[in-house]
Amino acid sequence: MFEVLMYDGGVYRSEELFELIEDVGGVIIQKTRSSQMLTVTMSIPEEDKEVISEFCREIGGEIRSVPLAGTEIAVVGPTLGRHHMPHPICDIAEHLRRRGAITVVMGLARGRGKLTSQISLEEKMIIDEYDAAIFSLGNFKSCIEAKTDLFSDIRIPTVLVSGPTPEGIDDKCDAIVSGVGRKASRMRSTPEREKLDEIGDKVEKVLNDKKRLLDEDPLFIHPAEIKQLLEEYEPVSMCLRPAPVVLHLDGLRVKIGYDEHREAIENMEIYGRRIGDICRLSPSKINDSSIIMRIKTRSEVRQEDERKAGG
Amino acid sequence: MEIEVIAEDGFGGDAYANLFREIMSDIGKAFQMENALLVLRPEVPLFVFSIRLKTEPSSKTVADVANIRTEGNITHLTITDERYAPDILEEMWSRFGKDRVEQQTRFDMEVKDVPEKEVSSIVVASGEEYLKEVVGAIWRSMPEGIKNRHTYIDGQVITVVATEEKFEPQMLEEGLKYHKKMLGGGKDV
Repeated sequence: MFEVLMYDGGVYRSEELFELIEDVGGVIIQKTRSSQMLTVTMSIPEEDKEVISEFCREIGGEIRSVPLAGTEIAVVGPTLGRHHMPHPICDIAEHLRRRGAITVVMGLARGRGKLTSQISLEEKMIIDEYDAAIFSLGNFKSCIEAKTDLFSDIRIPTVLVSGPTPEGIDDKCDAIVSGVGRKASRMRSTPEREKLDEIGDKVEKVLNDKKRLLDEDPLFIHPAEIKQLLEEYEPVSMCLRPAPVVLHLDGLRVKIGYDEHREAIENMEIYGRRIGDICRLSPSKINDSSIIMRIKTRSEVRQEDERKAGG
Repeated sequence: MEIEVIAEDGFGGDAYANLFREIMSDIGKAFQMENALLVLRPEVPLFVFSIRLKTEPSSKTVADVANIRTEGNITHLTITDERYAPDILEEMWSRFGKDRVEQQTRFDMEVKDVPEKEVSSIVVASGEEYLKEVVGAIWRSMPEGIKNRHTYIDGQVITVVATEEKFEPQMLEEGLKYHKKMLGGGKDV
């Protein structure tokens, strides 16, 4: 069994840590450096956890378990209006990052109001690129119940975070966490931190359900294996954007141009197969400077193989 | 500042009372307010935020916020209300130039070759500007989608009535009713 851990510390002797992860047969999922500080998300064999933990302590860092590693989550608010700052969605996004997820904060173009709020098809398609979405709404029960159209058509798992507990909308989303509405200060108190933990637990649960669903017809290859391959591709290794390759539960987001690099990526080989044969590549709906890769399932690949052999 | 909330939604009422208090404190207006009335009817939607200020907004001159005396060609100022210190310095610099204005301590400054009368009559804060800031603070504390707003201002009382789409006459009437209540009742506006 592999376990996903996060190292949080300085860059001091980090090269030794990377070598150690490689030596035990683990992989680095995400590496983020900010000045002299370093965060590394890694997947390592369970039996080597003690060795890695001990080394991390020796070099002055901390190590902790990160259940949401390898996921990208959108935290969506009706708008990112300046007069709401600080938003609870910033606290939620930060809390999920501490659990290992890559998070983005989104505001809808016309999400505000009770009678006039709306979400466009383009916005829905952008949200659908992520593994899960959290919708953070306000303090009035009647408004929340009137705004279910914002998230009822989203295909990925959604968690609704609101002030009061809404009624009659349980079937519109996968989970509801109440007690967090519009706020004018950071979520620092103990009950607020507990609320953030509750949100993290709910997200973890809906993602575990999604993982279980994926396990029924497993992916042909794990996204981390394609990530390793892509990191050797020069435009990716030279990419200056933060986290140039982001893991999803069923694929990856690669932050390089679709038009220029699609063909090169499709022609890469892994386990004797073209990536183009085992993945679907499409430009991100945000803009075409990112590629969304969806890995086909084993049964899909087998069916295609049979069709080719038959044809 | 006392806050009265009229709302059917218990959670929303408490949350908005806290939000209003926090936002007004953050932007430094809470201590200027005597009391506030928040009417929250999200089901309509109609929101009435009314406040009573401790003093009526008016223009402040240097003489209102500082002690002034003259010795020879030098006018000495001792600022008595710290809030206006940056505005006084800004006005002095822009009118007389930095070479004629010397700030000795946080509250003391000297101005050379300017008559006391001229210094004391300089307006450092206009009542209109102050009103704008207070109304802006009320808008900021209201729900974001409630964009259609009407403001009543009478002396110390400011009331903002807001809805999402178009105003019905009864909405404005209701807003005016709460405005009169804050004024003390009965006064025609």
